[in-house]
Amino acid sequence: MKLLDLIELGFDNLRRTKLRTTLTTLGVVIGIGALTSMVSFGTGMQKNITDAFKANDLFTSMFITSKEVNIEQVTEGNFEGIAEAWKRPATPLTDSTLTTIQQIPGVDIAFPEIRFPVKVQIDSHDTRTTLQALPAMMGNKKPFNQLMFGNFFRDDTSKLIVIDWNTLKKMNIFIQDPEHPTKLTLEDSLRGMRTLHPDSIIGKSIKIVSAVLDGSQLAFNPMQFLMNSGRSFFSESITEFKICGIHKKSSAFSDNQFRGGIIAPIKAAQNIPRLGFSNVWELLGSSGKEGTYSSLYLRVKRIEDMKPVRETIEKMRLHVFSISDQLEEIKRGFMIVDSLLGAVGTVALFVAALGIINTMVMSILERTREIGIMKAIGGSENEIRMIFFVEAATIGLIGAFFGLILGWIVTRIANVIANSQFLPKGEPPVDFFYFPLWLIFGAVAFSIVVSLAAGLYPANRAARVDPVKALRHD
Amino acid sequence: MLKISNLSKTYKKGNIPIPALRNVSLEVKQGEFVSIAGRSGSGKSTLLNLIGGLDTATSGQILFKEKDLTRIKRSELAQHRRFSVGMVFQSFNLIPYRSALDNVALALTFGGAPRQKRKSIAEGLLSQVGLEHRLHHKPSELSGGEAQRVAIARALANNPAVLLADEPTGNLDSLTSEEIVGLIRNLNRDHGLTVLMVTHEQEIAESVSHKVIHLLDGKIVHQDQRGGIA
Repeated sequence: MKLLDLIELGFDNLRRTKLRTTLTTLGVVIGIGALTSMVSFGTGMQKNITDAFKANDLFTSMFITSKEVNIEQVTEGNFEGIAEAWKRPATPLTDSTLTTIQQIPGVDIAFPEIRFPVKVQIDSHDTRTTLQALPAMMGNKKPFNQLMFGNFFRDDTSKLIVIDWNTLKKMNIFIQDPEHPTKLTLEDSLRGMRTLHPDSIIGKSIKIVSAVLDGSQLAFNPMQFLMNSGRSFFSESITEFKICGIHKKSSAFSDNQFRGGIIAPIKAAQNIPRLGFSNVWELLGSSGKEGTYSSLYLRVKRIEDMKPVRETIEKMRLHVFSISDQLEEIKRGFMIVDSLLGAVGTVALFVAALGIINTMVMSILERTREIGIMKAIGGSENEIRMIFFVEAATIGLIGAFFGLILGWIVTRIANVIANSQFLPKGEPPVDFFYFPLWLIFGAVAFSIVVSLAAGLYPANRAARVDPVKALRHD
Repeated sequence: MLKISNLSKTYKKGNIPIPALRNVSLEVKQGEFVSIAGRSGSGKSTLLNLIGGLDTATSGQILFKEKDLTRIKRSELAQHRRFSVGMVFQSFNLIPYRSALDNVALALTFGGAPRQKRKSIAEGLLSQVGLEHRLHHKPSELSGGEAQRVAIARALANNPAVLLADEPTGNLDSLTSEEIVGLIRNLNRDHGLTVLMVTHEQEIAESVSHKVIHLLDGKIVHQDQRGGIA
């Protein structure tokens, strides 16, 4: 008997008991729907975060310090531990170290990491933020190659800055995002927020007030905690810049903590009088010298360059921190989340499998005589078994198909709700769920495997029906 | 073509053994019409089921075309049921939701007939038993005689060497019984089909058979040779 015949016989039986088949299949539909929507939430989170990392080239970035920066100590606020580490003697990061690092094969760009808190002022609007100094070269690289409006500065000494959309918003200046147009909320309007055309911002003068002790944006700066000790005897210094570009707004999964609220050319920024790292260094009693940096930012050309470059730098007795170090850890975290979500969905699918077993055992009891007839006219045990397997697999396949549709619909609805309920107003919509190909095919395969497993016992039972008894059966 | 020696079959009801056949030996030649007569419970159906490969013997030998059915694998027994024998039952045993045509075609499906030919073969078989006008009727829409004709057509689907008929007229009135027995006799006489028919109607058995075997309590008590094959 050919496979096509077996399929035909299997379908025949399913067609005859439409209601029962539909109900059993519905169980599988719900199981697969639950499984796929759960897992797609996990994969969606993973995709959003890795996409955000990729968009900013974080996987090819590393931070070099002369001292060991223990992230845990920073997040736990272990000031003593940090201070202790910073007092240990270490290779200083000088201009010549920077030049050596820039010449390591695989290095795309390397420059001193300079960030400091400032107050910015446009007309009567002001806010506090972090100034980040970047070389003009970064204008060709992600994410700075795609500004919302205007252009990235082309000269390291020019007194131009790129301002972040979110920084402007903090200053009560609202710029319409052409990609995701949103309305100003009533709440924002009442706060005095004004919608401005980007042309009126580009080229505008902006005052940068430095030596302000504020670390609200400095999550990545281990000195933040030390500086919060509250000795505010520093005076203010005002430097005037012009706005040359507006950086696109960050999304829910974005990287604002890695990016400054305003970005200034590296040479121009070094000339701003400030309480930089070296000054704080002096505060701690260490000898800060001109041309010495606390940390360097480095980007490699390809992700494969990370390891060799890192090893070369570590040989120079410097410390390297990169997000990609955390990647394995992050991946493991996602694996756990995915498995937990998958487990919940799988429970639903196993309940559906019990439904399949029940339906098929019932069907065999009803069709005992028919099985006997099939055996009497020459049906072998294997053929009878296969007919029932086809039935089970069909339930699994159809269940998986509609289950995927159900899962997709559920996630679309959940996405709309999540976007309207959990995201702050005006943020671009985020897709919380993601159906990669492996999930779609995996769900179909899993559904068929579970259904076949559920069909195993009933099919064997059918195959072993004694034809003599079956033919006497009423 | 069929040689049975010392065949016994004992059923078990709980722990009590119930002998259905005791040391039965008989021989059936190619083209013979053999009737098995006896009261109910005499072991007639058991003997037929053993020859048909639906059941397995407790001891003894069933040599069918030099092959011992008591020693072959279950999958080979299925092959035997499919190609070597065709079975007809008292209660017709048609699949209720399939049309006459589909019932016959199902046997052809198991026999591995090509898909596109099954319908025409089944039509041919059904017109051979005089049912060319009832092809698409379900068993519930057929009379007893018609249903038994469908069953005979189905039994012939894979060109069996032997037709095994278990009380084929048991559920039919006398007129229809005569028709069905006539049909089977014609198959034997005109097409040389070997027939083994179980019946408890002495008259029918004697009118058409070459040989009548009388069973009582699982034993052959009498073999009545009524003339050879022409």
